[in-house]
Amino acid sequence: MFKMFKAATINKEVDIMKRFAVVIALTVMGFFCLTGISFAQAIENEFYLITPVSKDVHDPALKAFADFVKKKYNVDLKTSAMPQGTPVAYGQIVEWKGKPQADVFWGGEGTLFDLLADQGLLDKVTIPKAMWDEIPATIGKPVGLPLKDAKGYWVGTMLEPYGLIYQPKLLKRLGVEIKDWNDLLNPKLKGQIAQCTPDRSSSSHASYEVILAMYGWEKGWDWLTKLAANTGIFTARSRDVPSVVAKGEFAVGVAVPSYMAFAEVLGGYDLMFVYPKNAYVTPEPMAVLKGAPHPKAAHAFIEFLLTEEGQRIFMSRGLYPITSKYKVQGAAGSDAEKAVQFTAGIRSFYDIQVGNIYDPDVAGEKKRNEEVNSYFRKEIAEKYKEIIKK
Amino acid sequence: MEIKNTVALPKPSVWSEMKISGVLGYAAIWAFFIIFLIYPLIRLFYDSFTTEAGVFTISNFQDFFTDAFYLKTLINSLILGVATVITTSIIGIAIAFLLLRYDFPGRGLFSYLTIIPMIMPPLVGVMGFVFILGRAGTVNIILQDYFGLQHPINFMYGLHGVLLVETLHLFPLMTLSIVDAMGKISPSLDEAAESVGSRGIRKFWDITFPLTTPGYVSGALLVFIWTFADFATPMVVGISDLLASQAYLNIVQFVDRRLFKMGIVISAIMVILAILFLIIAKKYVSIKDYSSLSYSVIERKKLSPPAQAGAIAFLISILILAFIPYLGLALDSFGKGWALTPIPVKYTLQYFERVAIETPKFIINSLLYSGISVVICIAVGVPVAWVMSRTKLPGRGVLDSLTTLILALPGTGIGIAYMRAFRDPFPFMGTALIGMWIIIPIVLAVRRLPYTVRGTFASLLIVHRSFEEAAESVGATKTMTFKDVTLPLIWKGVLVGSLYSFILALQEQSATLLLVVPGHEMMTVGIFNFYIGGSVNEAAALGFILLILGAACLFIINRMAGSKMGGVFG
Repeated sequence: MFKMFKAATINKEVDIMKRFAVVIALTVMGFFCLTGISFAQAIENEFYLITPVSKDVHDPALKAFADFVKKKYNVDLKTSAMPQGTPVAYGQIVEWKGKPQADVFWGGEGTLFDLLADQGLLDKVTIPKAMWDEIPATIGKPVGLPLKDAKGYWVGTMLEPYGLIYQPKLLKRLGVEIKDWNDLLNPKLKGQIAQCTPDRSSSSHASYEVILAMYGWEKGWDWLTKLAANTGIFTARSRDVPSVVAKGEFAVGVAVPSYMAFAEVLGGYDLMFVYPKNAYVTPEPMAVLKGAPHPKAAHAFIEFLLTEEGQRIFMSRGLYPITSKYKVQGAAGSDAEKAVQFTAGIRSFYDIQVGNIYDPDVAGEKKRNEEVNSYFRKEIAEKYKEIIKK
Repeated sequence: MEIKNTVALPKPSVWSEMKISGVLGYAAIWAFFIIFLIYPLIRLFYDSFTTEAGVFTISNFQDFFTDAFYLKTLINSLILGVATVITTSIIGIAIAFLLLRYDFPGRGLFSYLTIIPMIMPPLVGVMGFVFILGRAGTVNIILQDYFGLQHPINFMYGLHGVLLVETLHLFPLMTLSIVDAMGKISPSLDEAAESVGSRGIRKFWDITFPLTTPGYVSGALLVFIWTFADFATPMVVGISDLLASQAYLNIVQFVDRRLFKMGIVISAIMVILAILFLIIAKKYVSIKDYSSLSYSVIERKKLSPPAQAGAIAFLISILILAFIPYLGLALDSFGKGWALTPIPVKYTLQYFERVAIETPKFIINSLLYSGISVVICIAVGVPVAWVMSRTKLPGRGVLDSLTTLILALPGTGIGIAYMRAFRDPFPFMGTALIGMWIIIPIVLAVRRLPYTVRGTFASLLIVHRSFEEAAESVGATKTMTFKDVTLPLIWKGVLVGSLYSFILALQEQSATLLLVVPGHEMMTVGIFNFYIGGSVNEAAALGFILLILGAACLFIINRMAGSKMGGVFG
């Protein structure tokens, strides 16, 4: 967003250095031809991430990775993240035209990664075959949601449901229970729901697509209009939804990535998470950008996150392991156990029934994306005042 | 204020007096205005009148004016602006009259306290209101828990919430404008009116009203533009159908190029409207009229005891309302996990540690950039004020208009204009100006320049020309005269104006949010980032620190400018 120019500027030194490097490299190559290659070091000392995954998660991941690099290679790794919303990050990477100023793109929808791969902007993921094979190809029925790219350009890193959240004290006072989607339409919840608009939030957008897939276009929008009638606020950003619910300003939040709400729990607020039927589960894909300034660090980062150590970082922050090998558990009172309570007992998405009817082939199209957004704008956003009067 | 030359010296022609260095200095000032004000605005208009391919078109504006939704946002913004002007007028004028015309216990204290609400960093003001008056705010919780209220009262979510926040934040602007204008009315005029039988309403209508109009109009314009350009406040209470909100939301997504273009067009429309309002108000508003530090002595009437009690009750109730956000902010910045209780249950210092000790960059950058911007303000503003008050140089009228224009320009508009104007990399460097941190102090300096100009101009007016002429007559050059005679006499005014520029630079958010360079975030940007990142407590803590800084500066100004309520405000 307002950081959009970060891209152009994240590291001018790097840019200047690059110019120098090109000049020097040309000279060196002119004289010594191929000898330069043998000087390559084990890992670079810098690493840049571009990601919609919020600070709550990317910060600890980067810190743990820097520690790991220090231990394994004795290199002081300087890491930095460009926090961008999914569509902005995607636009940015396309704009870089193969000369990226970040090494790894993390998070968002698999379809966007496919699009990047088609444009030749991604490198293939190089992790040990056993590690790759542990990750199932898809999750969910009847439509399998891909967890890794068949061609090998991206790999999922964790499982993250977009669910419903509520403030227990407030919900009890209202005399309402939230178990599934339709509970949101309870008239007692009028004015109590917080959601972000689908054109500003990809989690909201994906959840709208889930509803549209469940009920069909017409009936789906009817349902969403009824949801709007109960909605008390359309927040400016998806991250605001758990904030306002945690505070008790609104009782229920819709389409909230589990870890964003769990961050509020870790901050001392009281929130509960519901994983409704067919809710979207994202694997938060990760890929190395072609032409990345620090390719070795990039590949090492992916590998690190898929180790048990990496997966544990996620598990204590309201996220779920990407393979069935690990389960969220810890000592009594640990963050991991709090996370299990927060989702009313889920320890792994491989233990429970995962329904999915979100079809990336339908919902992933750019045209479809705009269609949903403009329908929302015309029929819900602009008529919101009339809708809530009903 | 008219200054007459009491010494009749032959006036040498303007040009012969000017030295080469003077010409260069004057040219440099103009260069500053052209590069950092005129060019970005032209660029903004150029972009809004062309297609992506650079072909001239008015279809962008057609799109805007044929879209029912955008038209509604325009109307909403105008309504909100006018409503805020009305509410701030009622409160602001009442307070100005009380403080100027009447004597009652605590008058001095009230005149300081009623300026304080202006010190309200953007975003945290409305957050503070929500903590106290929100659906789960202290007031609603107490009403529900102890008085059996069933559904929370909606104080905040909607246009009325925005109006409430803007009113209680901006009424001091109105008070100060009126105080400034009324201070200039000579009591002899009052007496004259009364001697011919004009009293009460009649006197107000004949004398007070026409003479305070210029001050009032400039205050009203500032209030209007401020409300018009604010996108952070509406955002917190879930309002997005306002012009500034749409400009911001459309600009910060750069996926849909059509929406992005719309953001530029909306900014251009906001700037055009601001210029239009300025032209309408031009009759009343110009830097030159932003009078002096000297007020005529007004005889205050002593109020009867019941009237005194009434006045004090009125002032206290306004102040209680206006201080709500400070209370909310303080509670939330120290309170942990505060939800659904009247006040927080657990308290902590962790948020202050995080924003001030773990990442001190916000505070350091804020002080550094605001400091640099004040240096620029002085370097450009003092000469501008001097040119306006002491010379007859061609173009000084335009300088006056440009400086006034800055006051009227919405921050979002300037931010977007800069984004468009300075995005091309410098030759041989690979970096554009918008990627360098220096852009922040520059935009701050441009936005806050008028206050320095104003403070200096006002001080220059009261330095009698004859002092300078005396120095010149014994052979001092213009520069020497300025250094040895003028500067010692006006430094206080310059400093007060600059401090005011500094406070407002510290609080600037709309333009800097759009231009921020990663790694160089200031406090206001930090507040915004923490807020949208979900760390509301950290945002509150940072806001609290900013508040203390602002209040400290205001206290210094108040001390320096004496009892005149800040002197250069208005």
